[in-house]
Amino acid sequence: MKKKQKSRVFLPWHLNYELKMRISLLLFITLSFAMQANSSYGQKTKISIDKTQATLKEIINDIELSTDFKFLFITKTVNLNKKVSIRVKKASIQNVIETLFDTSKISYEIDGRKILLKSKEINNDLLVNSTQTVEIKAEPQIIVNGKITDANSNPLLGVNIIEKGTNNGATADFDGNFSINVEDGNAVLVISSIGYISIEVPINGRTTLNIILEEDTSGLEEVVIVGYGVQSKKDLTGAISIVKTEDYKDQPVTRVDQILQGRTPGVNVTNSSGAPGGTVSIRIRGANSINGSNEPLYVIDGFVGADFRDVNPADIESMQVLKDASSTAIYGSRGSNGVVLITTKSGRIGKPRISFTVRGSISNSISEWDLLDAATFAQVVNERAASFGQPAKFTQSDIDQFRINGGTDWQDELFITGYGQEYQLNYSGGSDKVSYFVSGNYLNQTGIVVNSDFTRFGLRTNIKADLTDKLTADIKMNFNKRETNNVNGEGNTSGALAGPLTWAPTTPARDENGQFTILDPTSSIKANPLESAYNDNISEVNILTANGSLNYEFFEGLTLNVGYGLSYSNTQNKDFSLQLLIDTPSASRSSTESLFLQNTNNLTYKKTFNDVHNLTVTGVFENQTRKIDGFGTNASNLLYPIFKYDNLTLVEASSSYAIKRKETLLSYIGRLNYGYMDKYLLTASVRSDGSSKFRGNNRYSTFPSVALGWRITKENFMQNSFFDELKLRASWGQTGSQAIGPFGTVTTLATDENSGSASFDGNTLLPGIVLGNPGNSDLKWETTDQINFGIDMQFFNNRMGMSLDYYEKSTKDLLLNTPLPLYVGGGIITENVGQVDNSGFEIGINAAIVNNDNFKWDATFNGSFLKNNIANLGDLDEIFLDGSVGGGITNMPENILTPGHSISSYWGLNYLGTWKTSQAAEAAQFGNVPGDSRYQDINGDSAINGDDYMIIGQGMPKATYGLNNIISYKNFTINIFFNAMTGYDKWNFGYATGIMPNVDAREVIHVDILDRWEAGTNENSNIPQFSPTSLEEIQSSRFIESGDFVRLKNLSVAYDIPKEKLGGLGIQVLVSGTNLITWTNYKGLDPESFSNNGIGDSSGGDAGSYPNSKTWTVGINLNF
Amino acid sequence: MKNIIQTKLTVLVCLVFTICSCSDFLEEDLSAQLTPEGDALANENGLTAALVGVYSPLTKTWQSGFETAATQGILMGGDDLTTHKASNKSDFREFDQFNVAQQNGRLPFIWRGAYKSIQGSNNIIANYQNATGNESVINQIAGEAYFLRAYNYFWIVRLWGKAPILLNSQVYDPENLTMSSSPTEEIYAQIISDLEQSISLMQKLKPATGRASQGTAKAILAEVYLQMAGWPLKDTSKYAMAASIAKDLIDNQDEYGFGLMDNFIDLWPSETINNDGNKEEVFALNFSAVIASNSNSAYGNAARPGELGGWDDYFSEIAFFNNFPDQLRKEITFQTELPDGTPWEQFNTGRPYYEKLQGDALTWRNSLSLPLERMAEVYFNYAEAQVMATGDSTDPDALEAVNKIVRRAYGLPLNTPDASVDYTSLTQAQIVQEKAWEFAGEYCRWFDLTRLEMVESVTANKNPDDLQPLGEIKYYMPLPARETLVNPGLNNY
Repeated sequence: MKKKQKSRVFLPWHLNYELKMRISLLLFITLSFAMQANSSYGQKTKISIDKTQATLKEIINDIELSTDFKFLFITKTVNLNKKVSIRVKKASIQNVIETLFDTSKISYEIDGRKILLKSKEINNDLLVNSTQTVEIKAEPQIIVNGKITDANSNPLLGVNIIEKGTNNGATADFDGNFSINVEDGNAVLVISSIGYISIEVPINGRTTLNIILEEDTSGLEEVVIVGYGVQSKKDLTGAISIVKTEDYKDQPVTRVDQILQGRTPGVNVTNSSGAPGGTVSIRIRGANSINGSNEPLYVIDGFVGADFRDVNPADIESMQVLKDASSTAIYGSRGSNGVVLITTKSGRIGKPRISFTVRGSISNSISEWDLLDAATFAQVVNERAASFGQPAKFTQSDIDQFRINGGTDWQDELFITGYGQEYQLNYSGGSDKVSYFVSGNYLNQTGIVVNSDFTRFGLRTNIKADLTDKLTADIKMNFNKRETNNVNGEGNTSGALAGPLTWAPTTPARDENGQFTILDPTSSIKANPLESAYNDNISEVNILTANGSLNYEFFEGLTLNVGYGLSYSNTQNKDFSLQLLIDTPSASRSSTESLFLQNTNNLTYKKTFNDVHNLTVTGVFENQTRKIDGFGTNASNLLYPIFKYDNLTLVEASSSYAIKRKETLLSYIGRLNYGYMDKYLLTASVRSDGSSKFRGNNRYSTFPSVALGWRITKENFMQNSFFDELKLRASWGQTGSQAIGPFGTVTTLATDENSGSASFDGNTLLPGIVLGNPGNSDLKWETTDQINFGIDMQFFNNRMGMSLDYYEKSTKDLLLNTPLPLYVGGGIITENVGQVDNSGFEIGINAAIVNNDNFKWDATFNGSFLKNNIANLGDLDEIFLDGSVGGGITNMPENILTPGHSISSYWGLNYLGTWKTSQAAEAAQFGNVPGDSRYQDINGDSAINGDDYMIIGQGMPKATYGLNNIISYKNFTINIFFNAMTGYDKWNFGYATGIMPNVDAREVIHVDILDRWEAGTNENSNIPQFSPTSLEEIQSSRFIESGDFVRLKNLSVAYDIPKEKLGGLGIQVLVSGTNLITWTNYKGLDPESFSNNGIGDSSGGDAGSYPNSKTWTVGINLNF
Repeated sequence: MKNIIQTKLTVLVCLVFTICSCSDFLEEDLSAQLTPEGDALANENGLTAALVGVYSPLTKTWQSGFETAATQGILMGGDDLTTHKASNKSDFREFDQFNVAQQNGRLPFIWRGAYKSIQGSNNIIANYQNATGNESVINQIAGEAYFLRAYNYFWIVRLWGKAPILLNSQVYDPENLTMSSSPTEEIYAQIISDLEQSISLMQKLKPATGRASQGTAKAILAEVYLQMAGWPLKDTSKYAMAASIAKDLIDNQDEYGFGLMDNFIDLWPSETINNDGNKEEVFALNFSAVIASNSNSAYGNAARPGELGGWDDYFSEIAFFNNFPDQLRKEITFQTELPDGTPWEQFNTGRPYYEKLQGDALTWRNSLSLPLERMAEVYFNYAEAQVMATGDSTDPDALEAVNKIVRRAYGLPLNTPDASVDYTSLTQAQIVQEKAWEFAGEYCRWFDLTRLEMVESVTANKNPDDLQPLGEIKYYMPLPARETLVNPGLNNY
């Protein structure tokens, strides 16, 4: 244990204040250490003291200052001002204590470095050869015994017990036991301990009490991990959200993103694929970058740029989300998108603890498309053919047969019930020098779509050791293996889930031999959705991460931490596709290994001057190397398709490739934290990053930040205010984003077969080279300026807290891919042009609504409001982005970037409904008849074409909300969690594919077609009739829908079987439902999931994305 | 003690800071990258790879070039091609109805492929003289680069009229983003210069079936002159030049490895033999459908009826089919019934399909060669140029050139005169009409109609049930939307 800054608190038992800086001239202490693993500090530490007529206070303080011993006692029971003389040489602590104190009056216990002093008679002061007078009190009447534990039934030592309204008190021993004499049976005990919520317990005549103290997580003394250090929560000046384990511990979370979703203001988590282990999009305070990633930076146990999927949620000790520039600027060139700090658990000194959890789950799709049955579909096909003057495709007897026998329900073929199982085992513990935390987990989930699944194995070992008194070491090792198949759901119109909207229900799924039907003669031109679904897209990721650090304290306050991290990962991809349409079964394999090295050297000096100036200075030097090496083979025309990707020799043709990349980053970091009187707080930091991706003067960039805080409640005039805490925060800073991969500054020749190859003989594919995108040697970082104003409040005796933040972010020098005209060779050039602004407001509220012994209700609410806007694009007025969401069904760019609009803006025609009968003359100008689609003719040329395209929607949620309730009654805990997203549009390509004929589907399958415009009978309908003159445009506002939704994300009930009933074994039983109800008007399957092959930050295109599932989970947790 | 601490501190800090202070720590690792500044094109091997990269953009399926039905689409203004009246074919319909939007998804294929190929040609032309290796191999490569640059501009000038000329687009120059289109004459001048250069550099015989040779360049040069003689330049002096070059090629066709196939059916792939690389292929793009992005998709599904799993992208107009003389060639050219006997009138689209372009299997992913220039066209070009240059409609050489192909069309021996089918005199109109039958659905009808300003008259004779023009008939395509978005000043009118 190293000396720590002792906190200033006002609890009576704590001795150690204000003296610790003083060094007594009359006393010197020599320490010698013997470093044997099984010897306790107390036995091996020798103390020499030579002191006459010093106060006990001075002596105790000096012992604490010079050794690691810490005295625990009630101040009322020890007379600190008593003068004592002592002279010992190389004495044991027992000797020292027995010399100092009268052992007939006090008893002591030594546990490692803690010394607990207890008065044998509560009313007597400790006297050593003294004449000090002591106030004598009347002998109390009743003896009350009891035991104090924490919520997990672990004994709490050193807890202070005071009879309310008196000086009478006692302290709990190492087993949490205490004994106190009180006046009578009506006495009230005040129980308090640092880090726990103080409670008052009326005795009510009882003489035995079992008292449970709740951890005070909202306490002001909470320590928060910030970048490259820790800070007391009360001293924070930045906008940092803390995600608490308590908020989700009764929910069956299996991934980190599930923890973040809806729980933190300013963080928007969207499951683009609802598949187990599927892709997820996380945005902190919007999206800054058009070209670069907008995913936050993850720092796991100090590893900067880690992958959040490598962490098992059960291993997480704490998680912080850094949002404003004063907290993120310390991460410099990678901090623009916010930072998520994750710290994994460490062992705690004490008895070994073992925890085992098993969970099982069952999932189903949250909804299904409403599609035509085969007979009705056949009728509709005939009606459409008639409208185009073509012969009927189905005879009446065909239709009658379909009516009797039904057809193919493609959704039934694709959607199945998913099952999951999860096992978690961890144990932890530690002696006074070494602590450990070991955990293993196994998770297996099958998806709600055939042939999609996710398996994860994890093993973690975290060890921490005190090597010497000044030197500590820790190492955290984590192995993670993730296997996924088809979890990204393809999400475009060629994917399996778009299939039911294109394949005719009249077409059988399989032929008489049970083989997949190859062709849909009626509607779709794509592959059989079942064939697509059964193709494999397997990814196996194996990651071993080890980071260790040595922490050396030169003298009190100055520590050097040297950390090394290594992360090695190997990704194996295995793809197979049957390709029945072209009879070319194909497979590919690739192996990519990446090595990620980090060295961080952190020198921190922390000191309090004159009791009022708190100063922490941090200097860091860090370097990172990331290398990627990989190769792969693509093979087509497998001679034995049954081998899939396991034999790539028996193939007609194959090609191979290799990739090699390296990125390095060198960083210098400095930070100053200063607090005056705990009232006025200042944080200033600067980071300089050098990157291998840039050249010359652009290689290094510097990212400064400064933040101020004012704890108004510390002012004298606020001493009796309504607020328990009121803090104002303001910050400004700069962060960066690299936004480009390696080689952005150089022009390279493209050598891959899809770019440059050709054949000269109709057989062999020859390798060729073509010029790639021109490099731009002037590239530099994107820079984000951010200001933040925040207020933190606590009131109603800390029962309610609220944080408000307003921010403005401005990202300039965007690394933008400017499209080049085709006549210069096409492609793009990356340039630093343009600016994107984000501004927003966040609110977080937490409240202990009910707080009784048996009934508690804690609620947290958060809301985030975001405005995203392109300020300028350099010289350009607009940039169009081609996505592949619409596959071949869209011809124009689907997204537009233009100043004054969100970076996720959709581009298309404005649909005005159908031409009405009264508008026949006007319709005729467009070559239309009533019942045809009508679009806004922007340029008034009586023709609908590309000039009439406009912005028809945007896909970035303007507001997100989360409401979490934890209600506990006796041993039951109920968790009710809602989340919501509003203010964004979905582009429902899926619906479009189903309701109108298009390149993918020649016929209409969605039931809404039955409600189409019909002369005389259904003229109000805005679904156009079948008409040769009707322009059916997918790129129109007709298919733009609001995505707003509110979702009951989680409802769970946990029951803790009382330990007494099971002989100390803790058992918790959990039943939980996820995504139970979704309130939305969106016509697609899921307003949350979207097609991940969109572009830019477009998150609203939905062309058959994998929906989230409704999941029921049952779990049991055992604690030994 | 303080000193000790200071020493420890200093040592540790120094240790830490020296770990990674190697000066090249932040240097970018380009060891696996090919850069133009390096030796990418410094030798024969590099030039060979670069040449593949010049052909490649013309064959990039669904991306750029000639290998999808977008090629039939952009030529759909001709009377030989039309598309589905409903379904999902609005892009194709825009071409057929002369109402092409800049945003038309099929519009940029040829433009994009041609200019990317030009960029590759420019790179070879800029580097070949300093490259090491076998001189004749290098000259052949350089000649092909010149040829392809000319050939690409030839397509561009015929479809768009005016366009930017870039002769150094291998080097990125921001000035190019604001350049304007060159007039038609300048583009033709550049084409002729490049073709002459390529003729001087290339060998007589193709190094591979999918490459170009001196003969290829001559054939195209003759066609360029013929085109220049018509609209819009109307430089009739070019007829004689066209005739002379074509004549030279025909007279020496064996030397160039070219000739007419004896049977029309041998030009097309069947399930048993694909006939790729036959001597009539003057210029044909080759494919290897090993990768999807290198497939001939102009053939195959695009040309098949939906009833058989095809895509109904393009097929014949009714009047064109009805006017087509009854002969063996008609049977080979068209699919007029389904296997179950359903006649074309009862197809969903009510039109006959181009059987000759359907490939050898039900797939869009063909490895079949795509002949863009056949020797037969050289014969026609010669005949027309000769008749126009001499004004003699009974020029025996011109008559024989056309009659060979006509005889073949009836399944007769092509070198044996046959009074029952032979023409005894030929007008330009007759030659062009014969050419239409021979090249139905191929790549010359639209250009013949435009250069002779026949689009209006031919369109007026359409069957009323075929798709009709929407508004004014236009001879040129609009520029793809992307071009004017980046360079708003660019136009082609």
